[in-house]
Amino acid sequence: MGRKLKKDLNIKNNSSFTLNITSMTDMFTLMLVFLLQNFAATSVEIKTDADLALPTSNSYKNPIMSLQISVSKTGIKVGEKLVATINNRDIASTDIDPQDTNFIQPLFKELQIIAQDPNIKKDEKNQIMLQADQDLPYQTLRKIMYTASMAGFPQVKLVTVLGN
Amino acid sequence: MKKLNIQRTSDFEVDLASLLAVMMKLIPVLLLSSAFMQAMVIDTELPQAVTQAIQKQVDENKKNLLLEVDGNRKVTITIDINGAKSTFTVDPLEAKIDRPKLHGLLQEIKKKNPDIFKIDFSPDAKVTYKEVVHVMDEARRSRSSDVRFPVKDEKSGQEIMTDYMFPEIIFVNMMEG
Repeated sequence: MGRKLKKDLNIKNNSSFTLNITSMTDMFTLMLVFLLQNFAATSVEIKTDADLALPTSNSYKNPIMSLQISVSKTGIKVGEKLVATINNRDIASTDIDPQDTNFIQPLFKELQIIAQDPNIKKDEKNQIMLQADQDLPYQTLRKIMYTASMAGFPQVKLVTVLGN
Repeated sequence: MKKLNIQRTSDFEVDLASLLAVMMKLIPVLLLSSAFMQAMVIDTELPQAVTQAIQKQVDENKKNLLLEVDGNRKVTITIDINGAKSTFTVDPLEAKIDRPKLHGLLQEIKKKNPDIFKIDFSPDAKVTYKEVVHVMDEARRSRSSDVRFPVKDEKSGQEIMTDYMFPEIIFVNMMEG
C-alpha cells in the first residue's frame, strides 16, 4: 500500500539542494565595513556605568593609560571600587570633611593608597582620567578635582565622547 | 550557409562559501573589539610652537584673560593687559550659554591678542559639567577653517598659522569653598 501511495504522489527523494547565500554575503559585507570603521585602535579600555552619560566634545585626543575615576549620579568609583556616595547631584555629607567642605575623605584615602603603591607605573601616578556624568554640577566636580590634587594627582584629563 | 549553433549563456555561479567562512570568523573578532562609543580626553598636549608661546606668556605674565560663567549662564570675559582691564559679556540664550556668540567673541579677542593662550576659567557652582566642557570646546580651537592665528616658532623664527586659540584652561576657583 505504501509503495502504491509513493507512486501516486510521485515523491522525489533528492538529497542535494542549493542554498542562495548572496543576500547573506551582502549583509556580512556591510557589517564588516561598519565594524572595521569602529575598530578600537586604542589600547585603553574605558568602562562606563549605565547611569553615567559623558558629555560630548570636539576633542580628538585618544585616552592614555591612567587611573580612572568615574562619577555617576549615585557614586564615585576609583577603578571598580565605590568610594563615596552622591545624593541629589552632590557628595553625601558623611563623606565630606567637616573642616574643609571641598575635601572628600574616602576618596583621598583611596587615592593615597594608590599613590603609595609601588606596582603602579610612574607615568600613571600623577594623572587621572575623570569620567563624570554630564548633568553633574561643577560644584561636585570641583570637590573631586580638589581632593585628587591634594592626594598627589594634579593632572586631570576629562573623558568625553566625540561629537558636537 | 549553415549557421553555427553557438549557445551563449550569461548565467554563472560564484562560490561564496569560502568568503562567507572568512567573514564568519572576522565578524565576531571585530564585534568584540569595536568601540561603539568613541571616548576622547581633553588635555593640553600641543604642537611645539604653541607650547613655547604659552611658556613665553607664562614667563612674561603681563596679559591675563578671565572667563566667568554665572548661575544664569551669562559669560563675562575680562582682559587684563598691564593692569588695564576691559570686560565683555555674552548674555544667555534661552537659559543656556550662547555658544556661537561666545566663540565669535573669543575669536575676536584672539585676533587682537594672538600672544594670549591661557584662560583662567571660573564657572559658577551650578554650571553643569556638560556646559563646562562646551565652554572649553569654544575656547580651545577655532571652529572656522578660514580663521587662523599667527604663532612665531622660536626655533625657526618663522610665523606659522594655528587654529588653537586658548588651549590652556585653568580652573581658578578650584580651591574656593
